[in-house]
Amino acid sequence: MTDPKFKSGLILPNRRRFLQGSAALAAGALAMPYVARADDKVLYVNSWGGPWLEAAKANLFDPFTAETGIEIRTVSPVSFAKLAAQVKTGVYEFDVTTLGGGDIVRANEAGIIEDLEAPYEGGLFQNGVASHAFATVMAWRTDTIKGTPKSWADFWDVERFPGGRSLQRYAARVLPIALLADGVAMEDLYPLDIERAFAKLDEIKDHIRVWWTAGAQSTQILRDGEIDMIGIWHGRYFEAEDAGAPVAMTWNQAEIDRAYWVVAKDTPNMEAAKLFVEFATSAKPLAGFASQAKYGALNPAANEFVPDSAKSRMPTSPANYPLAFEQDMSNWGGDPHEVSARFDEWLAS
Amino acid sequence: MNRMISRLSEQQNLWPWLLLLPLSAYLLVFFAVPLADVVQMSVTEPTLGLQNYEKVLTGSLYRKVFLNTFMTAGIVTLCCLFVGYPLAYLMAHTSRRNAMLILLLITMSFWTSFLVRTYAWMVLLGNNGPVIWLIQSMGFEEKPHLLFTRFSSTLAMVHILAPYMIMNIYSVMQKIDKSLILSAESMGARGASLFRHIYLPLTAPGIANGSVLVFVICLGFYVTPVLLGSPREQMAAGLIGHQIEEFLAFGLGSAMAIVLLGVTLVILGIYHRRFGLDKLWG
Repeated sequence: MTDPKFKSGLILPNRRRFLQGSAALAAGALAMPYVARADDKVLYVNSWGGPWLEAAKANLFDPFTAETGIEIRTVSPVSFAKLAAQVKTGVYEFDVTTLGGGDIVRANEAGIIEDLEAPYEGGLFQNGVASHAFATVMAWRTDTIKGTPKSWADFWDVERFPGGRSLQRYAARVLPIALLADGVAMEDLYPLDIERAFAKLDEIKDHIRVWWTAGAQSTQILRDGEIDMIGIWHGRYFEAEDAGAPVAMTWNQAEIDRAYWVVAKDTPNMEAAKLFVEFATSAKPLAGFASQAKYGALNPAANEFVPDSAKSRMPTSPANYPLAFEQDMSNWGGDPHEVSARFDEWLAS
Repeated sequence: MNRMISRLSEQQNLWPWLLLLPLSAYLLVFFAVPLADVVQMSVTEPTLGLQNYEKVLTGSLYRKVFLNTFMTAGIVTLCCLFVGYPLAYLMAHTSRRNAMLILLLITMSFWTSFLVRTYAWMVLLGNNGPVIWLIQSMGFEEKPHLLFTRFSSTLAMVHILAPYMIMNIYSVMQKIDKSLILSAESMGARGASLFRHIYLPLTAPGIANGSVLVFVICLGFYVTPVLLGSPREQMAAGLIGHQIEEFLAFGLGSAMAIVLLGVTLVILGIYHRRFGLDKLWG
């Protein structure tokens, strides 16, 4: 899919120069991040906010600045579209970002991320450096849901567990969950049976009150009891639990995704960006980051620095990992792009 | 003598244009050029041609979302009118001090960020919010679902947009010559008849202005329907954002934006023929 999308025809050079000029103008007026562009001692990192940002600041950003003298500023929200637009326009808002398994294949095919080298053995996938694993788990309100749901089939069982439901508006994560609910075993999921997944989704559609689109939103609706059962990222779940909300979750049939650090193609901060990615995936900083945010560190060398106390909340811990399954984007079962489009039509119908 | 006057007025006529120059330059750089870019993207990405427009105009998803967008904007406009008209009337006919007080209360909501106001509705209408509590304390067993419905997003949009309606109608009502009402009364017009034949037609420009403003602004609403509305009732701006964010479909998103702009211009055009667009600015 190396399509002409990103080579925008004849007027590009002019437009780019123009955009840079107008960006500089806007910078003066609006104090956008471009202001500091002249100073190459600043690196811009795309941030997920919430518990991710807290852990990243303490374990990755601040130590990196202490070691290299390069200041780190964060830009929100995480936006795949912005990553693509940056390369197209030549105006960079961030230099480094993290992508999940589905997005990184797309990003690499579209040529919007820089070629990288593996900083540790087996650490490189589609020009992203593997950082950490996170999971989409089933969670519920203990004040409204009576009994203990055990699997995604129970999520679909609105007779036994009545109440409002919520899932992420993200076809690539929702379809495997629907198949599990329909009785497919975790090891037989891929390639996905797309038709069967949509048929199963029809059953739950009327009960999904929110298709959440941002991590903070998922925590909020669970914590405030706007819904009673949810498919939620594990870090966001623990945020609600730690806030004292009456909630519970299961690691059973948890859906693991991997997150990768990538560098925006042709960014003017190339050297600092590459340095940061290497730093962020090296054993000690990654261990600190993963321990605090309860992600599973993907650099094996990091694991010896991860305290046992942090492991119970990690999807990759010896106790949790066997209960979970990993997303398999290389054997997914369809063009994720087309399936997403179909998913959107399905949502609105 | 005549010639001198006409020369003088010609020179004076240049002034307004000069004063417009900074704004025109600003609009050219930050509005016209990016808009041209959007038009260009809509016919060049991913390949040259009109296939994006074909998709937008024939795809069932897009038709549905556009219809919903215009319907929502219509409902919100009507609600704003029904809420705003009596309030504007009250302001125009109470003491100056009270009118200023009401105006202050209305404009105060403008001081709060858009997003905060949207989240405030989430708290108010939420499962543990005061509205549900009130409904339950009145003896209703079942908790109604208020959030994430057409009701909640419409309510929030009416709240956000009503000030535009109120201020437009108020400014017209304030200028109504009281002697017109008095003379109508002296000729025997009373109550409903006085309102229907005299007052309502006199306030019509305010209603039209407020309605057009509210309708057009509402067409582009993004965050409120996304956060408060039901997933089945998407609005165009949310879908455009989603096309670009999720699918990197800059071309398709641009085409949708242009179609939305086009339809909006048609509506403004109809309005212009009926009432005159210049009345919008007083």
